[in-house]
Parts: sequence; C-alpha cells; structure tokens
Amino acid sequence: MLPSARLDKSVRIFNWAAAISIFIALLVIFFYAPVEKTMGNVQRIFYFHVGSAWVGAVAFFVALAAGVLYLRQNSRKWDTLALASVEIGLVFLTMATVAGSVWGKPAWNTWWLWSPRLTLITVAWLTYAAYFMLRGAIEDEERRGRFAAVYVIVAFVTIIMAYLSIRILRDIHPVVVGGTMETAQGASEGLQEFSGLDSAKMGITLMASTTAFSVLYVAWLLNRIRLQQLSDAVKDLKIQVTAHLQGEHA
Amino acid sequence: MPMSEQTSLTRPPESEARAFLTAVLAIVWKDLHIEQHTRQTISVMVMFSVVTVVMFNFALEANLDAARNVATGLLWATILLAGTLGLNRSLAIERENQTVDALLMAPIHRNAIYIGKVISITLFTLALEAILVLLFIVFFDKPLWRPVVLLVLVLGTIGYVAAGVIVTSMTIQTRSREVLLPVLLLPLSLPLVLPAATAVAAYMFPQLPDWGEVQSAVYIVIIYDLLMLTAGFLTYHFVVES
Repeated sequence: MLPSARLDKSVRIFNWAAAISIFIALLVIFFYAPVEKTMGNVQRIFYFHVGSAWVGAVAFFVALAAGVLYLRQNSRKWDTLALASVEIGLVFLTMATVAGSVWGKPAWNTWWLWSPRLTLITVAWLTYAAYFMLRGAIEDEERRGRFAAVYVIVAFVTIIMAYLSIRILRDIHPVVVGGTMETAQGASEGLQEFSGLDSAKMGITLMASTTAFSVLYVAWLLNRIRLQQLSDAVKDLKIQVTAHLQGEHA
Repeated sequence: MPMSEQTSLTRPPESEARAFLTAVLAIVWKDLHIEQHTRQTISVMVMFSVVTVVMFNFALEANLDAARNVATGLLWATILLAGTLGLNRSLAIERENQTVDALLMAPIHRNAIYIGKVISITLFTLALEAILVLLFIVFFDKPLWRPVVLLVLVLGTIGYVAAGVIVTSMTIQTRSREVLLPVLLLPLSLPLVLPAATAVAAYMFPQLPDWGEVQSAVYIVIIYDLLMLTAGFLTYHFVVES
C-alpha cells in the first residue's frame, strides 16, 4: 500500500517547518542569547546539546509507547513507528554526544571522561544500536515485530537508569532538567564550570532550540515512516510480480 | 512434582497463587535435577571463568598490584561473560530437546516459567560466584567475603539474569543465536553492573566504608532488579509464543 496523500502532504509541510524553525533557532542562539560569564561564546553549544539530548529521550519514549501498542494491537504501523523513532533517537543521541564532547574540551579540558553520566549514555547508545542487530537476525515479519517491541520496552530501562543514576551518583556533568539541587551541589564542590541558566534570554533561547529540534524530529519521523511504507510497497509488488511470472510459465 | 493437581478444572480460585508457586518450584527442581545429572552448565561457566581470569593476569603481565586494582571490575566482567554461557546453555537445552513446547503446553502460567528460569539460572550463577569469590580471595587477596559485597553480588545477579532470560529467549529463536546474545545483553546490563561494581569496590579497602557512601549504589541495583523483573513479567509471554 502506497503512503496516503495525507502523509505526503504532512511530510512536505513538516520539512519546510523544520528548515524554517532550525534557521530561526540558529539566529536566536547566535544573535539573541547573551554571552555566558565564565565560559564565553563556547556556552552556545549548550543549546544544541540540551535540545538534541531532550529530543533523543522523547524519541526513545515514543519507541517504548509504540512497542507497547504493537504488542497490544499487533498492527504493523506501530512497528514502523518504533523503528523510525529508535533510528532518529539514535541520531539525536549521537548529535548530543558529539556536541557535548566539543563542549567538554574547553570546559573540562578533555573530549571524553568516563563519568557515570557519560558512561550510561554510551551504554544507552549501544543498547539501542543493538536493536537493529536483533531486527536483522529475524526473517519472519510478525516475529521480528514482536521481539523488537519487547526489546524496545526492555531497553527503556537503560534510559530510566541513566536518568536515575545521574541524580543519585556524584558526577562532573551538570543536571539541567529538574535538578537545581544537584547542580548547586556540584557547583559548590567545584566540579562544574557551568552552573545553569542565569538569564531569561538563555531560557527563551533554550526553548527555541528545543522546539526547533522537536519539529525536526517530527519531520524526520514522517519521512522515515513514508520511506518504510514505500519500501513495504516495493516488497509487495515484487512478490506480486514473481507470482504473476510464475503463473505465466506454468 | 504432582502436575495432575494443576490440570484439575475445578480448582478453587484462592489456590491460584499456590499453583503458580508449585509450577515455579517444579521448574526450578527440574533444572537443578538436570544439572545434577549432566553438570554441563556450571562446569562450563567455571572453566570459562578460570580461563578468563588467567588470561587477564597474562594481559596484566603478572603485575599483581595492577591486577589487584582491577580485581572488582574483572570479577564482574567474568560473571557477565560466563553468565551469557549459562543462559544460552540452560535455555538451549529446552529447545534442543523440544521440552519448551511441553512447558508451554502445560496448564501453568507463562510467568511461572519465566520466574522458574530466573531462579534456576540465578542459582547456577551464584554457584559460579561462590567459586569465583574464593579464587579472587586467593589470587588477589581482596576481602570479598564481607556481607555487603555478597549481598550486592546476589542482587546484581538477580537483575542480570532477569534481563538475560528475556533476551536469551529471543536470541535463541533467531538466526545468529549465541552471537547475538552478548551484543544485546551486555549493554543492557551495564547500568546494573556500574553501580554494583562501585559498591563492591568501596569494600575492597581494609577499613569498612560508611553505609551512606554505598547505599545509593545499592538502591540503584535494587531499582534495576525491580524494573527488569517487571519488564520480564509483562513481556515474557510475547517472547515464547510461537
């Protein structure tokens, strides 16, 4: 079955919306946001880093929800949604890690540290990368969907653990979302250079970049779902053609 | 085990929890019985672990100080790797002998099979750990006998096996089988091993650490156990139905 006209239209709309919102976010980050006191212009990476990390977490949550729905309803669309969301979440997680690493060089004087948070993010990355290995090893479509759905549910435990561990264990990395206490604690111990957002303009910039990345996520998601539907349609066509040809020869 | 009790259709509802428990115990008993006769699982795990430890010593060039410093990490790494062997072995036996179909046909709850398997493989892994702990005390002179260390080992093993049974039940039904298991399971279990190894490492010094220093790590391990067991409970029947 080819993608519906409605999906085609949403893909076009969201492609443009994503391009425009990313452009606006760039303008806001570079021209509206103030220069941070201790870190200077380097701190602008923060908006990319937090924006993409946030969207990555959302993408894995969407995959979890799609996995649960697949097991309940056994409908192929949820499998496609989970697959698309894990793929895109992995891209966002990679973006967040690269941006964080680039920021880590001036802030910590090293590209990488094996602190609990960074280790657990690497672990989450590996866990979700293994999702594709599992899919690749199963031929039967129904079973692949079922196992992938179970795996995506189990894999979300690593995201929960990463979220919990960094709030319980001591870390050099600051906690931005829902963690003012820990941030202050880390800063007082002299572990952290950057102690959070100290102006309303920074908050607005963060919101702008997070929104832009979210729109980009939806755009990629729709594109990926459309791609999967096209690929399924090609597969169906191939089967039909083969059956037809065999019928002629017989 | 008297299985005929459970097939009775007139079972009163209040005995369902008991029937579940009976089924769990029957599976554990069966696995222990097979192990008692074949001695395949534990012996393979132990042999593999000893080889791993010797190999790591070789990699550290017989530098005892270096080996002592990495001993806790080495202990966990060995348990994880040997654990994949145990999981594969214990669940593959069911496939090879086609007894898994018999288990699925039995009038018992699917989760009873899950819990039974988690318990029996946990017991195998704990047997391995008992031997490993002795070896590590001898080789590296570390106080691994401390109660908190043993508690963390038990808690860590439960979580690891809880995740392992789910993942292995899937991988043994795929093309790549044994190859796929470590790729899926090891990253999945690292959020558990990281705090567990931290907690064990805190006890490797002559003086005991404050409970306050390690309690958060122990709580993380317990949370992981609960999350994994819940996830396993909710998804196991999707994994075994064919």
